[in-house]
Amino acid sequence: MGLTRREFIKTSAAAAAAASLGTSLIPGAASQLFADSTKWHKSVCRFCGTGCGVMVGERDGKVVAVKGDNLNTINKGHLCVKGFYLHKIVYSDTRLKHPMIKKDGKFQRVSWDEALNFVAERFNSIRKQYGPDALAFYGSGQAETEETYMANKLYKGCIGTNNMEGNPRLCMASAVGGYLTSLGLDEPVGTYDDIEQAEFFMLIGSNTAECHPILFERIIRRKHQNPNVKILIIDPRKTPTDQITDLHLFPKPGYDLAILHAMARIIIKEGYADEQFIKENVVFKDNKKDLTFEEYKQFLEKYTPEYAANDSGVPAEDIVAAARMFGRAKTAMSMWTMGINQRTRGVWANNLITNLHLLTGKIGKPGCDSFSLTGQPNACGGVREGGGLCHLLPAHRSVKNPKHREEVAKVWDVPVSNIQPKPGKHTIAMFEALNKGEIKGIFILCTNPAQSLPNAAKYRKGLEEQFVVVSESFFPTATTKYADVVLPAAFWTEKEGVYGCTERRSQYMPKIVEPLGEARWDAFILRDLAIRMGFKKEFEKYKTAEDIWNEYISLTKGKDMDLSGATYRRLKKVRGLRWPVPSEDHPGTYKRYVQGDPLFDELPREKKKGRWIYFYGKPEGKAVVWARPDKGPEEPTDEDYPFALTTGRVLEHWHTATMTGAVPELNRAVPKAYVEIHPEDAKRLKISNKDQVVIETRRGSLKIEARVIDRPEPGTLFVPWHWEEWMINNLTIDAFDPGSKEPEYKVCAARIKKA
Amino acid sequence: MSKTTKWLLAVAGVLIIIFSLQFNLQADDEKEEKHPEVDFTQSCMECHKEVTPDIVRDWEKSKHGVMNFGCYMCHGDGQVEFYRKPSTETCLSCHTGEPVDARKGGNLQCFSCHNGHSLKFHQ
Ligand code: SF4
Repeated sequence: MGLTRREFIKTSAAAAAAASLGTSLIPGAASQLFADSTKWHKSVCRFCGTGCGVMVGERDGKVVAVKGDNLNTINKGHLCVKGFYLHKIVYSDTRLKHPMIKKDGKFQRVSWDEALNFVAERFNSIRKQYGPDALAFYGSGQAETEETYMANKLYKGCIGTNNMEGNPRLCMASAVGGYLTSLGLDEPVGTYDDIEQAEFFMLIGSNTAECHPILFERIIRRKHQNPNVKILIIDPRKTPTDQITDLHLFPKPGYDLAILHAMARIIIKEGYADEQFIKENVVFKDNKKDLTFEEYKQFLEKYTPEYAANDSGVPAEDIVAAARMFGRAKTAMSMWTMGINQRTRGVWANNLITNLHLLTGKIGKPGCDSFSLTGQPNACGGVREGGGLCHLLPAHRSVKNPKHREEVAKVWDVPVSNIQPKPGKHTIAMFEALNKGEIKGIFILCTNPAQSLPNAAKYRKGLEEQFVVVSESFFPTATTKYADVVLPAAFWTEKEGVYGCTERRSQYMPKIVEPLGEARWDAFILRDLAIRMGFKKEFEKYKTAEDIWNEYISLTKGKDMDLSGATYRRLKKVRGLRWPVPSEDHPGTYKRYVQGDPLFDELPREKKKGRWIYFYGKPEGKAVVWARPDKGPEEPTDEDYPFALTTGRVLEHWHTATMTGAVPELNRAVPKAYVEIHPEDAKRLKISNKDQVVIETRRGSLKIEARVIDRPEPGTLFVPWHWEEWMINNLTIDAFDPGSKEPEYKVCAARIKKA
Repeated sequence: MSKTTKWLLAVAGVLIIIFSLQFNLQADDEKEEKHPEVDFTQSCMECHKEVTPDIVRDWEKSKHGVMNFGCYMCHGDGQVEFYRKPSTETCLSCHTGEPVDARKGGNLQCFSCHNGHSLKFHQ
């Protein structure tokens, strides 16, 4: 914890002395940080999409400690290593404390007035000369819902461009596409509560142990208490998640679609399908037309275990065993994340997972769900629900829908003609447009695209040439290097707002301390910029975070993600609420589409016709089983580039490490990047552990230390992506899913040699 | 000796014992607080797997090992902070409930009962 060495010595000496005098000492009683003078505030972890509850210890106006919130049902007081060190990040030396403008190539400290006037003038002149689409916004799944809401209104409602994106495009867009096409509406049917009721877990494209540690802990506990619980992993790499696996299939990166089809085929052939559920609740489609169940079965005929084995490299008998595990379990929960989403066929991969649940009827029941894990703490809440992407409007609305535009324009108090009916530029297209000079000014908020974009070096041209404003809590980052203006943003605990995590749960975070230096809350930075750009009438009314939240939740009224009952007053007391929560006396919803979901309960009887589940986002309430072709990665391996390169995360760091890099303990735990290579490959290439090697792809090369380990399969290389110094994203591919526009970070072709 | 002098001497004696005890503890702790010079570009685990393999094995099998709560969580990063004998305070960040009523056991800290690496309960 944040004790100095001196304090520590004092504390242990006092404890020992007290002990020698025979005084009883309760753990922590002699503690500096857990002393009575420390005030504890209920909040939420700043890192991953799990959404753990934390208690923030404050003393004399400073954040001094963090502990798990034992009343929060997500984590019941536990934290992973990242959440554990949150308080240290608040006072990191790398905090940005003053606005700065780059003059003659050097950042110079300026006043807020000067900075905001300068940005407003530049944005207005770009807008006047080149039109609204020459401006863009690039936000974050870490921004609060209130912050994204303000940006949305400024860009889509006032400036009049839909060039408004956020980094969830790079991590969750395929999951959105999957839910919309399979079930009709975005976000999961169930919640974390299903973990304690599931008999079988399929973890696919997810290193749950390192990326969602507290959920992993819940799965471990479930298995420990019920040894019959089985765990199947489908992932190209062995990870710490394997500690609890019963069966692991190792497909070549990007070749898992055929496996999922083969599993569906076995499930049907061996009688594990729930024919009644299918008859009542499911329709079948391929990319062009509706199919009958028979036609779907015909489609699956190609996907024999042998075919899938040949395609993926996984033994046929393992695929059969995996299908039987899924089929035989009374309840089944699938979880996935980037390994499925960050693919050129990410939406299809999402569909094929949900297919298994729809075929077996293992959805909508306790312990059953097709459950996408979110990477960022507010990707679901702020960006998916808040409508922070180029085709969306708040509360699961679309810019294409005239009724939606009207509803939003009315609440925003702007002419409906301001909101363009055509989606703006998605992330990759946005950075292409910056390169080409079609976009001339961009506001980047709480994210680090110069390091996190795929094929990152390619997009630096636009960042160098165009007018770039970066609002950040940390400095420098890979992106601030290219900024013309940097604005210091208040950090977690220095602002209030709401985060919405993986399980549809919105949680309130209080402002506990004053922002460091001159840092300001992003929502007010945007408000003040908007006023200076001439949108006084539209923005001056927002005086508090609650003003913004209240307006936002008014837009959710009557929608599938109704948050009207989640007022600040209520959120301040409870450990979050899971939507739909249509009124202040509604407890929130455990399962969607079934009894207990207010939208289901309100459906007229004639519509439901006695059905216990009704996917009300789809015609006739029927979900879709998709017959998607199996397709491999965009860039398969070949003679020149014989390895599949995949990237990912380690437990101790998060994204571009602007936060975890500020914690000495976490740096110490994993101080640098490395490439994992299988011992067989290493031997062949005469690479020893800790040798310096060079990895090359068609886009770039990287010198890095080798870690010879049997985690990746032969033929696969793995590199964690957190470090700017070893920027693996200069090598990744920027090809993207044509549906979700999410890039294929998870696989490209590479070669490796000793440096 | 007057009653007062005796009383004063007794108090002084107790104080000396307490202070010397504290001083010794402090001196020991100062000594213990030093970690041998290391290459800080490698993780604790890389080296400790070789130098203290039994401890690493115990930890690996423990719940902390399964969750990958590394050495640094209790012992510090070794550079900015290093605690040879970690304090109970660190435990309380996650173990926020009070599953054990320590008062019943007397002068307890978490590691009075739990082995620091295997976390197994011992007497
Ligand atoms: S699991 Fe995620 S939300 Fe929970 S403490 Fe760790 S980083 Fe924070």
